[in-house]
Amino acid sequence: MGGDRTIYGLFFFGLALTAVVIVYPAVYAIELSFQNAQSFISEPEWVGLDNYVRVLQDAEFWNALWRGIIFAGTAILLQIVLGIGFAMLLDAAIPFKRAFRGIALLPYLLPTLIVALTFRWMLNDPIGVVTVAMQDLGFGTIDWFGSPTLAMGLVITISVWIWTPFVTVAILAGLQSVPDSLYEAAKVDGANGWQRFWHVTIPQLGPVLTVVVLLRAIWMFNKFDIVWLMTGGGPLQATEHLPILAYRKAFQSYDVSTGATVSTISFLILAVAVVIYFRMFPLDTKD
Amino acid sequence: MSQVKNELEVPLSSRLALYVAMALTLIYSFFPVYWMLVTSVRDPKVLYNQVSLIPGPFSLESYETLLAATDYPTWFHNSVLVASVTVVITLIFSVLIAYAVTRLHLRGKTAIIGSMLLAYMFPPLLVAIPLYTIFAQIGLANTHLALILSHCTITLPLGVWLLWGFFKQLPIDVEQAAMVDGCSRLGAFFRVVLPLSLPGVTTVAIFSFLLSWTDYTFALVMIDSDDQKTLPVGLETMTGQYELRDGELMAGSTLIALPLLILFIFLNRYFIHGLAAGAVKR
Repeated sequence: MGGDRTIYGLFFFGLALTAVVIVYPAVYAIELSFQNAQSFISEPEWVGLDNYVRVLQDAEFWNALWRGIIFAGTAILLQIVLGIGFAMLLDAAIPFKRAFRGIALLPYLLPTLIVALTFRWMLNDPIGVVTVAMQDLGFGTIDWFGSPTLAMGLVITISVWIWTPFVTVAILAGLQSVPDSLYEAAKVDGANGWQRFWHVTIPQLGPVLTVVVLLRAIWMFNKFDIVWLMTGGGPLQATEHLPILAYRKAFQSYDVSTGATVSTISFLILAVAVVIYFRMFPLDTKD
Repeated sequence: MSQVKNELEVPLSSRLALYVAMALTLIYSFFPVYWMLVTSVRDPKVLYNQVSLIPGPFSLESYETLLAATDYPTWFHNSVLVASVTVVITLIFSVLIAYAVTRLHLRGKTAIIGSMLLAYMFPPLLVAIPLYTIFAQIGLANTHLALILSHCTITLPLGVWLLWGFFKQLPIDVEQAAMVDGCSRLGAFFRVVLPLSLPGVTTVAIFSFLLSWTDYTFALVMIDSDDQKTLPVGLETMTGQYELRDGELMAGSTLIALPLLILFIFLNRYFIHGLAAGAVKR
């Protein structure tokens, strides 16, 4: 059929474009990690594993990796707990359900920049609304951006605020598929609300939770913009994780190869983590 | 069904707890947005001197200053351009690839779909560093085309993944019937498949727009000159360069958020559908 040939032609053109914009850059990143590109336009030389040896011997890298794990781990845990709570609330018989659901999802739609600017303004010293509220409540003036612990807590809190709705929506969809008969059976067996939650709801949400945790873990581990916009990695590198380290190396020190090496290693760590994760929580592949 | 279930489960006494939880969720989710809006229309004479949770006194001075003192209209234009072209490219190619993968007898289908999922895992900088290097070498650095192509590295895998799920569920018989009736495959595609998959295509369009419109990371890396910037990076540079105050920043933020809020109100169900399908790499 003539139409088939057209479609094949268009299809391979589409595939070629996809390969050029997605696969080629990733391959090129790995190539750069074996070279010594000192700027974006210089002619690089091959240096073998030198970059990897240098990066892996650098305490800066290990500190950034550790901070990234703390940042992503804490944020995901809070997102999951809050997300389940919001989903249960949205699933309950509440008035104005649709409007309420819309507002609960709102943070997820806002551009990161807007969230960052708004929170920076709310925390403004001396006239931010949170600053004034804290003073009125007797906490005094809190220097969010000056203390390493508070800065890390701040980027985690804001990440939880923005990205929890993703968990909420997924869990809410999962809740719809829990058969009512299971709850009734549990009730007949004398299980109270809390027991029904632990022994019926949570196990039934297992497959959804597996995917949600995986996606959130990947995206939080790679998250660049909110940390960069809130703290820039500071104070004193206290919130500098691998994406920020890679950005700083490549686009501020123009050490392109080190930036590419850090990104490649961070991708490899993620890939290994995903494989281990799938071993521990195999996906249901029935469909 | 779940509504009935819950109505029976919740005794009147715990209704109060439910409403308290609702109120807290509402404040938690909406307060920052509320504060952005209120700040943007508060008279600057009051704004920087006292804090009040109640809106007013009303003034559009922050908007006027923003538009007079900055390239905001240019950035708005750039953002619209970049997001629209990204949506068009994403739609054309993701429809093509997803359709071909579900309908044609091809080797390596699973590999194609699998690689789309793999692209979900790429750290943004793993893509941004080599892309910028390539664009710098071929003279495309600091152009909208560079930014559009880098947005496509996220939107294309998303589009293929979502539409693949969609085309898979469409009954192949309808198409074959059309082809028996004398439609070419292309004709059957445009007259039967595309109209039937409009919800899927709309979801992809919305999320491509959302990703491109809100993107900060790629725009920060790819664009250097002021007149090429898109809204998020443009607004961020204002904080230093023009020494604008928070009133103007909140006015600028409101104008970025407005198109999204309007889309969200009218196309709510597509957002929910897309989110539930894991549509946004964020």
